[in-house]
Amino acid sequence: MAGKSGRSINNIPESPIKKLIFGWEGILILVFVGVNIFCKWFSEYYNMFNLLRQMPVYLAEVFLMLVMAFILVMGEIDISVGSTVCLAATLACIISNAGAPFPLVILATLAVGTCCGLVNAFILTRFPELPPMIVTLSTQIIFRGIAEIVLGSGGSVSVANTAGFKAISGKIGSVPYILFLVVLLAVVAGIILGRSTFGRKVYAIGTNRLAARYSGVAVEKIRFIIYTLMGTAAGLCALFMVASSYGANTTTGTGFEMDAIAMAVFGGISSTGGKGNMIGGFISAFIIVCLRIGLGQRNVNGQVILLIIGVLLIAAVALPNIFGSLRKAVKK
Amino acid sequence: MKKLLSVLLVALLVAGLMTSALAGTADGKKIALVGKSAGNAFFEIAAAAFKEAGEAEGATIDVVYPEEATADAQIKVLDNLISQQPDAICISANDFNALQAKLEEAMEAGIKVSSFDSAPNPASRQVFVNQAGTVAVGQALIDAVYDLAGGEGQWAILSATSQASNQNAWIAAMEEIAKDEKYAKLELVPIAYGDDEPQKSTDQTQALLDNYPDLKVICAPTTVGIMAAAKLVQDTEGCNVKITGLGLPSEMLEYTGEGKSCPYFYLWDMQLLGKLSAYATIALINGDITGAEGETFTVEGLGDFSITKADDGGTEIVQGLPLQFNQDNIEEMAKLY
Repeated sequence: MAGKSGRSINNIPESPIKKLIFGWEGILILVFVGVNIFCKWFSEYYNMFNLLRQMPVYLAEVFLMLVMAFILVMGEIDISVGSTVCLAATLACIISNAGAPFPLVILATLAVGTCCGLVNAFILTRFPELPPMIVTLSTQIIFRGIAEIVLGSGGSVSVANTAGFKAISGKIGSVPYILFLVVLLAVVAGIILGRSTFGRKVYAIGTNRLAARYSGVAVEKIRFIIYTLMGTAAGLCALFMVASSYGANTTTGTGFEMDAIAMAVFGGISSTGGKGNMIGGFISAFIIVCLRIGLGQRNVNGQVILLIIGVLLIAAVALPNIFGSLRKAVKK
Repeated sequence: MKKLLSVLLVALLVAGLMTSALAGTADGKKIALVGKSAGNAFFEIAAAAFKEAGEAEGATIDVVYPEEATADAQIKVLDNLISQQPDAICISANDFNALQAKLEEAMEAGIKVSSFDSAPNPASRQVFVNQAGTVAVGQALIDAVYDLAGGEGQWAILSATSQASNQNAWIAAMEEIAKDEKYAKLELVPIAYGDDEPQKSTDQTQALLDNYPDLKVICAPTTVGIMAAAKLVQDTEGCNVKITGLGLPSEMLEYTGEGKSCPYFYLWDMQLLGKLSAYATIALINGDITGAEGETFTVEGLGDFSITKADDGGTEIVQGLPLQFNQDNIEEMAKLY
């Protein structure tokens, strides 16, 4: 069965591709340690306290990566999430300003995100032949368009009652709540992807969608669930984005889809589907976050930081291929 | 011998103390200047003047740009700066309200916060240095539109982003003044936003020309926008639309003057703006001012400045009236900036 070849890597050590990916996590841990040593050397302000203080804005994007990983493993993509974050954040502010109690604001924000996800899920499963890239490109424009219309002239809204948002950006000691939430959800998502039947089916779809369908996997049902959850994750991200700026504007969440995809791909989750796991994505998310904070603390030009991350990404995609062909050459 | 030596040492010590006292009012202070985004010529000139003035007083000035022209990116920059604990942050804000949480955090950490070019909301800053009173700019621009349109007809505004607070303030001022009887025959078409990107500004100008064939004047209160619009109009044969707004002389040299697309435009003295902002920031650090209405401070060579109430309810220091650039002075001013 197709699912078997895409299953959790540790179980099939004899496969050379699996070995490579297993090796990739080892490399990622080394890179993580290396990046931290580098940052410590590079920035005199790089310490646990500042790291934890600066982390929350970046962590909001990790929520997106957690579900994006599922979509990428299926061999698909969702580039509408940045706009979903924008729309959910905008409505979160408006609902909060309308006087709703904070728990209701949370629920409503998650619901808005989920609805956006539902729209994607509905279109993509109703018309399975449509390419996800194009569908989510359209919804990307639509969701942000709605947000821009709602925001009207001026293009931004801020929350009048910041108490609730201040509360969720709180800390235990110096550890922000969001870090606990990210770790918790990463563990849950990791278990579902790596250890559950559902996860195995996701790999099956990514390895060979047709074969998966013929072997009884409810492909469209799984795609529906995942795209919907992607929206929910965007709603969660939006909540924390509002918490960082007490407001939303037309640029909120711009490029987040690409950041989430970058984290996942750097973590060894192949965008062609069927490969990678949550551990890789999780470590790579923190590599990128630490690198951005470390370089940023010494006022390295933002464009240069993006350039470095871009180079790392290309390396991440190219290296396994280079190693693969080297290995083949050696075998010959 | 010992006596002589001790006298010499004391003399040296006194000399040392005196030179350090002469060196500057901000010795060893660290100031971070945060721009909206890299690549805005207007800001960079003011930033250079800010840096020069600050360093002359003995301060270390870091000019930092966010990776994108968004409030979210500026929040990351502010997070980095709070880790560095500078004495002051001077910021040109990408959004009026969005930076409040971070700037308050900075002020709680003992960092002074000033601003110029584009202000964050009153709660997020101690003082704002305004290039020219918002109303003064609005008046100059609407009069230019009135003059260039011949007193009547359609005109358009090409702005930067829809949430740039300085742009919106000038536009609001223009719209307010335009309610006057004198301007009743001028008709403003919907505002176009070029996001301060050359290509997008060009596209938006083209759209204005296509959609409103009777358009007489485009007013772009942004350096990127005015240059894109002036270039497009000048390159379009048979197009008689006139361009005005706020621009940089060096960028507008080719397009300004009689028979060109932009007869004249405005700007304030940007070097002065940067310099004044640096001195205002140093005055905040030294406790000479706190940013309260009614306070005054003196800048050597520039004169006395007082802190007044701003339109947004916060406080500001107003630099002066905008300056007109035309056929007569453009070449000379283009050498300056």
